[in-house]
Amino acid sequence: MSDEVLTVSTAGNEATLPGVRGRVVRTKWMHSLLTFLAVLGPGLIVMVADNDAGAVSTYVQSGAQYGTRLLWLLLLLLPCTYFIQEMVVRLGIATGKGHAAMIYQRFGSWWGLFSLVDLQLVNFLTLVTEFAAISLALSHMNIAPKVGVPLAALGLVIMVLTGSYRRWERVTVLLCLLDLSWIYVALKLKPSMGLLAHDTFVPGIPAGGLTGNLMFLVIAIVGTTIAPWQLFFQQSCIADKRLRYADVKWARLDTFLGACITISVAACMMIAGNAARIHGINFLDPAQMANDLHTVTGEMIRSLILLLMINAAVLGSTAISLSSSWAYGEVRGWPHSLEMPVRKAKGFYLTYVACVVAAAALVLIPGAPLQLIILGVQVLAGIMLPSAIIFLQLLLNDKQVLGDQYVNRTWNNWVNWTIIVLLFGLSLILAAQVVAPNLFPAG
Amino acid sequence: MSVMGFLRPTMVTEVPDDHFVVVHPLDDVPEQKVDTSTLGPMPMTASVKISLMALRGYLLLMMLLVLYHVMDLAGAFGRHIH
Repeated sequence: MSDEVLTVSTAGNEATLPGVRGRVVRTKWMHSLLTFLAVLGPGLIVMVADNDAGAVSTYVQSGAQYGTRLLWLLLLLLPCTYFIQEMVVRLGIATGKGHAAMIYQRFGSWWGLFSLVDLQLVNFLTLVTEFAAISLALSHMNIAPKVGVPLAALGLVIMVLTGSYRRWERVTVLLCLLDLSWIYVALKLKPSMGLLAHDTFVPGIPAGGLTGNLMFLVIAIVGTTIAPWQLFFQQSCIADKRLRYADVKWARLDTFLGACITISVAACMMIAGNAARIHGINFLDPAQMANDLHTVTGEMIRSLILLLMINAAVLGSTAISLSSSWAYGEVRGWPHSLEMPVRKAKGFYLTYVACVVAAAALVLIPGAPLQLIILGVQVLAGIMLPSAIIFLQLLLNDKQVLGDQYVNRTWNNWVNWTIIVLLFGLSLILAAQVVAPNLFPAG
Repeated sequence: MSVMGFLRPTMVTEVPDDHFVVVHPLDDVPEQKVDTSTLGPMPMTASVKISLMALRGYLLLMMLLVLYHVMDLAGAFGRHIH
């Protein structure tokens, strides 16, 4: 194909060409709509997959302990998560490379190796928690985990082995849209709209004051909403999808839409936890909450919450495993694309399959230290996040890579450094709580 | 025509005036991106280098803290947290 084809795809009219796969449309708005639908994917998936099993657990616990009083925190996290991922969009489109490759190339092998090892470790531990959630939800649905967990792992493997990025993306976007059912769950629980509006727009500390428990929950909410794997995943996903410079605005919209959905769904999870609190239901995990809520909400909501738990875990698993295999492939110089058949990218697919199978197997081992793993995920992710964002910030100020057009503006830098300072503060509090568990009053 | 049929791309050879073509990124000609492989390490000021060294120390310290905490939770120092 010639350069003319590229001109047509970006500018939109006026040429006779030597054949390109596309759609001819008559109106500008239809061109915009279809271009957006073609670009839609990486931003939506990275955001919705972030509401994984651990996030479901964190948000419903938050609702159970503090009602909807922390909704304002979610609203605050909406621009934070958008601005961070928007930087990844620019970097991915400008370089056509993944985040791991960029860190290796621009910061050297020590930082490259550190980021890669930390990412793989946190990702694997997170993956174990995803399968633990699948196992838990299945057992509440009277499906033996020994049967259900391997089937879920098999489904996750089949999703990526088709050799088609588009096929994987369509299935994953469909799963993302299913996540919107949380809104239905929340509406069925009939929350007070006035209270929701108040708790969303009026920041405040819940009754009981600043306790160790509240601090830990705030850190967990921030850590689960902005996670290191997201940076690696979205940049690699954009590179694999070969998004073009002209797609930047649509990729931003995709990311913003995803951010709005993920925050809205997170709020619905808090509302579900709040409903359990109102009805005096104590629970240890979301599956138990769904089970005990059925006396109030009926069988359908119970089944829906359990299915949504599995959906969240499956979405998290495919995104996290892919971020690992893309990153590993980039650093090792292996072919690493979902567009490639298995025989041409064996190392890439093998990494994905190994992550999924090992995590699923670990969950099925009786007496595996799952609580320790969950704690490890939260702490390691909390440590890794500020440093990962610092590298992102440095890369986004790299004019050699981004040129004048895509490099951070002054206001970008102010916003991002503010986010970095806040994240570092929370990371330090987390570390201090590990060293001195009685730092804040118990609550 | 169904929605899927409408979204499915076909081979386009001619575009009338005042019409537009939508091409999926994977069907388009690969764009020329910034060649980062020849750039080498990022040039950094002394303050950035020092900050990164401090960050390296902070991260190593935090990793040791986590290791200690996990071993403590696992009962390696003679007490278990239930």
